[in-house]
Amino acid sequence: MSSIKSVVLSCAGIGSRLGLGQTKALIKIKDKSIIRWQLELLKDVEDIRIVIGYQANDVVKEVLKVRKDVVFVYNHNYFNTKTGASFYLGSQDAREYVIEWDGDLLVHPDDIKKILDTNGEFVCYSDISSDEAVYVQINDNNDVINFSRSSGDYEWTGPVCMKKSKVFYTTGNVFEQIEPNLPIKGMKIRAYDIDTFEDYKRVSEFIKNW
Amino acid sequence: MKFIFDLDGTITAQETLPLIASHFQVQAEISELTKETIHGNIPFVESFIRRVHILGKLPVDEISDLLEEVKLHRKVLDFIHENKKDCIIATGNLDCWIEKLVMKIGCEYFTSEAIVENNRVNSIKNILKKELIVKKYQDQGEKVVYIGDGNNDMEAMRISNVAIATGLTHHPANNILPFSDYLIFSEKALCRQLNQLF
Repeated sequence: MSSIKSVVLSCAGIGSRLGLGQTKALIKIKDKSIIRWQLELLKDVEDIRIVIGYQANDVVKEVLKVRKDVVFVYNHNYFNTKTGASFYLGSQDAREYVIEWDGDLLVHPDDIKKILDTNGEFVCYSDISSDEAVYVQINDNNDVINFSRSSGDYEWTGPVCMKKSKVFYTTGNVFEQIEPNLPIKGMKIRAYDIDTFEDYKRVSEFIKNW
Repeated sequence: MKFIFDLDGTITAQETLPLIASHFQVQAEISELTKETIHGNIPFVESFIRRVHILGKLPVDEISDLLEEVKLHRKVLDFIHENKKDCIIATGNLDCWIEKLVMKIGCEYFTSEAIVENNRVNSIKNILKKELIVKKYQDQGEKVVYIGDGNNDMEAMRISNVAIATGLTHHPANNILPFSDYLIFSEKALCRQLNQLF
């Protein structure tokens, strides 16, 4: 991966919709925490920035079992903010381009290389699979042109790669930080995020053959 | 931009007071105090006075020579050497014990001060308030990045522009974490982050 990029893993949330009582990075899929899955899949990325908040000490402990050379970034206001705030905090003092990666997102290993090797800005999307999706609409050039809560061609899952200088502070969601910059090149990937318990059961099934 | 570093455990790869205690075989008296201080259970100033009371009876020149040779975090030292004019050490340690060491590191430094008589610490003249060093540079219009791991770094980290808690030698004191922007456990990641701050 280019040395002008950082990856920001957003692991600060309380995981309230999932209802398992812990931050999603620590949830186990096939006996392995999601953060461990992610770190193993992103092992070639040099500047990994992990945004922590709820259960910060537990996430730190879990990460240090895998690698020590990460930068933990605190989102102390995690209860009142969403992933947009974590992305902003993780982007501060990062490299020129930042890839935002939700702490509940699992990307197919074959697609990860494509994400890390692609230059410039881009937005990733997948086939619709979640219960509570945000949708993306794309044009004929395969650019993402719109996000919607009600309908769209695909599901917005992330990751997104943006110039650090364009990441502004919001207490809201990452897609709201992308919207003013649309259209942006789109990239279809196989990715699954876990917002609800139904998602959790589905993802466990999806990754059986990884 | 100025980078203010704590010394013990942040630039040095060993805590210096336990090293002195071990060299002079007074560990039993000091180890519990150090442990409780790192965990934030004894206020730093009280602990420091108690530790100096024990170690102050030991020969100053021998302590100074011992600490001159203490193991340092190599990559952190390289960063300081490459950015000497922007790096500052702020340490609660006594000037008479660590002056040789900090001169070897080569950047500007601020320490606590002792009155030495007959090669022994007679009394503590001043205990450094690290936050005053942060304030001094902020008043000059500098953005201050503070790097530390201990209880006595808390106030400096609270007011600094960027606060980096480090766990290079031991886990950082829990009471600094609410004031930290970043938490870093490896020299490699710390130096990468420091360079990205420019």
